[in-house]
Amino acid sequence: MRFTQILDLVRINLIQNKFKVLLTSIGIIVGAATIVCVIAIGRGGQADVAEQFRNLNAGAMDISCEQPQKGSSSRGANAAGASVRSASNTAKKTDPSASKQSGRSEKNVSGYPAELGGNTQTKSTRRITLSVDDMDDITSAVAGLSEATITYTTKQNIYGGNIEDTESYTVAGTLSDYARLSNLSMLFGDYLSDADNENKQKVCVLGYSAAKKIFGSADQAYDSLVYIADRPYTVGGVLAQQGTVESGISADEAIFIPYATGIKYLTGSNISPTITIIASDVDNISSIIDNVKAVLAQSYPDAEFTISDAGSKMEAANKSNRTLTLMLIAMACIVFIIGGIGIMNVLFVSVKERTEEIGILKAIGGSKKVILLEFIMEACCISLIGGLLGVLLSFAVTPVLTGFGLRMELSVTGALIALGFCIVTGTVFGFYPAWKASRLVPVEALSSE
Amino acid sequence: MSAQHMICMHNVCKSYKMGSEQLRVLKNVDFTVNKGEFTAILGPSGSGKSTLMNIIGCMDNLDSGSYELNGIPIHRTKEKELARIRNHEIGFIFQNYHLIPTYNVMQNIIMPLLMRGQDRKTAERNCREIISMLGLSDRLAHKPSELSGGQRQRVAIARALCSKPSLLLADEPTGALDQSSGAEVLALFKKLHEMGNTIVMITHDMNVAKWAHRTVDLIDGELIQ
Ligand SMILES: Nc1ncnc2c1ncn2[C@@H]1O[C@H](COP(=O)(O)OP(=O)(O)OP(=O)(O)O)[C@@H](O)[C@H]1O
Ligand SMILES: [Mg+2]
Repeated sequence: MRFTQILDLVRINLIQNKFKVLLTSIGIIVGAATIVCVIAIGRGGQADVAEQFRNLNAGAMDISCEQPQKGSSSRGANAAGASVRSASNTAKKTDPSASKQSGRSEKNVSGYPAELGGNTQTKSTRRITLSVDDMDDITSAVAGLSEATITYTTKQNIYGGNIEDTESYTVAGTLSDYARLSNLSMLFGDYLSDADNENKQKVCVLGYSAAKKIFGSADQAYDSLVYIADRPYTVGGVLAQQGTVESGISADEAIFIPYATGIKYLTGSNISPTITIIASDVDNISSIIDNVKAVLAQSYPDAEFTISDAGSKMEAANKSNRTLTLMLIAMACIVFIIGGIGIMNVLFVSVKERTEEIGILKAIGGSKKVILLEFIMEACCISLIGGLLGVLLSFAVTPVLTGFGLRMELSVTGALIALGFCIVTGTVFGFYPAWKASRLVPVEALSSE
Repeated sequence: MSAQHMICMHNVCKSYKMGSEQLRVLKNVDFTVNKGEFTAILGPSGSGKSTLMNIIGCMDNLDSGSYELNGIPIHRTKEKELARIRNHEIGFIFQNYHLIPTYNVMQNIIMPLLMRGQDRKTAERNCREIISMLGLSDRLAHKPSELSGGQRQRVAIARALCSKPSLLLADEPTGALDQSSGAEVLALFKKLHEMGNTIVMITHDMNVAKWAHRTVDLIDGELIQ
């Protein structure tokens, strides 16, 4: 029998049992819609992650030491901390073997309590402040780094422009290469220079949103004065809009000043800087992390540092995203199996109902193959129709889900995968009843009523 | 076994299990039909006529004995080949028509030709003559459920004839027909017979059996020549 003729028979049968076909395919409809949505959600999540990490260099690593949160900085304590820090550094340099420990203990015993004053912090907590020296240690001792910079942030009261009273902004102390490392681009002016840092100039660069909020617009901000902690800073540049970022400083909302300027006028040593290094080869990241830890362990024994690399952050985000997708896919599979069992049930009943027909087909010379094909094709068509309806359903459901804040990206691939799944389910679950039907002896099938 | 034998059965037995008991329906049947013969099998209800016919039509297995059709040993033939034989060699008119309810008259009639691999257009063309001969031309789009018993009988006959079988088997072909249409069908059989077809017909009506060349009696599963 010709295949087209079999399809013709399938068509006749399906048209005459429209309602039954629809009922059968409900499981498949839901399954297909689920698959399309799952894939759309997965892709949406991936796009989200990609967007969040857009500004991030894959080879970048942030080194920081978690600090116990402190109250507002007090000038005297800061000065003390800074001197301790420099003392320890000189000690380290003059007598590397013995005085490293003493330098540390000096910091613990004398520096810390003085700094804390009446604060309720536990005394055993060690205070470590990463410095430019540490950064230099790392860059000279660890191979495979292309760049390194150090930053810290502080909350400061800002006055100037359209601000009525004062407002609190994030102020970031950075070196000149920060803009390049963070892929920041300028809208107006230039980023902070090395000279600004060395001379502790009171200049700043405003993030796009910050400039807009303080001065109304970016070009008005340029070359104006901003008062940070009551000292005037010249706006030397405004950044282009960066969008949201997953890690690091949210550049749009921040005010950038030279590293040394901030320490001198704003924070003293009361900072928790983050050293950012960039691996020249992404594959070396794990060995670089080990080396950095070794270098830091020399300066600060038994201190815990957090080294987070952008790649693994991205990886983690993608992984959690994948986990979610896998879970959803598992759900879709269950829906499909249930749908498939539904198909199988209906086909079994239909085979029972149509045993006489099968007998007749066999009596007039229908081979096993023809009967098997007809019933499988019927199952296939039912599931294909269900699949198409399911894809349509998913298109209808997407705006609703998106309304709940779920990011979804529909794709042709998703729809095709769903249809593929439908056909496979239909064939697999349609095969058994069809095979049973095709094996009947004609007379038995005929006398079944 | 001579080459002119269309059907050659020897010692055929068939029984059905009824609970623990065996119901012997055919008892050592020897039955031979020559090519071109028009044979009637006459017998009371329940004597096993339909059972014998199903075996002749390659639709049922026999328990013991041998059966050759056109020299082919059916009792040893695989199902795939049997399907081909049913399609090409045998036209079977069932006692209770056995039309497919979802298909209309035309689709039912051309089904054997579709099975053979013809496309729908060709099959319909090949059946047109037989359809008009049986007076079904104005009922082609109807479903079997919309036909009278006689019309259904004629559809079943048309389906059996359109495949131009070398052996036509008819199980009570006139059972549901009135006098005149019954006579028409029998006249048609006579004509087909004169054209060289081999026909085996079952009936329990002596008058119908008269149309045949030869009559055999089947009584309680035993064939009396
Ligand atoms: N599938 C079956 N299972 C059990 N017994 C059967 C089966 N088919 C037929 N029989 C029995 O075999 C016997 C012969 O049946 P068959 O249909 O051959 O009779 P028949 O001669 O064609 O009768 P009728 O003239 O009424 O059509 C009957 O007694 C019937 O009950
Ligand atoms: Mg009978």
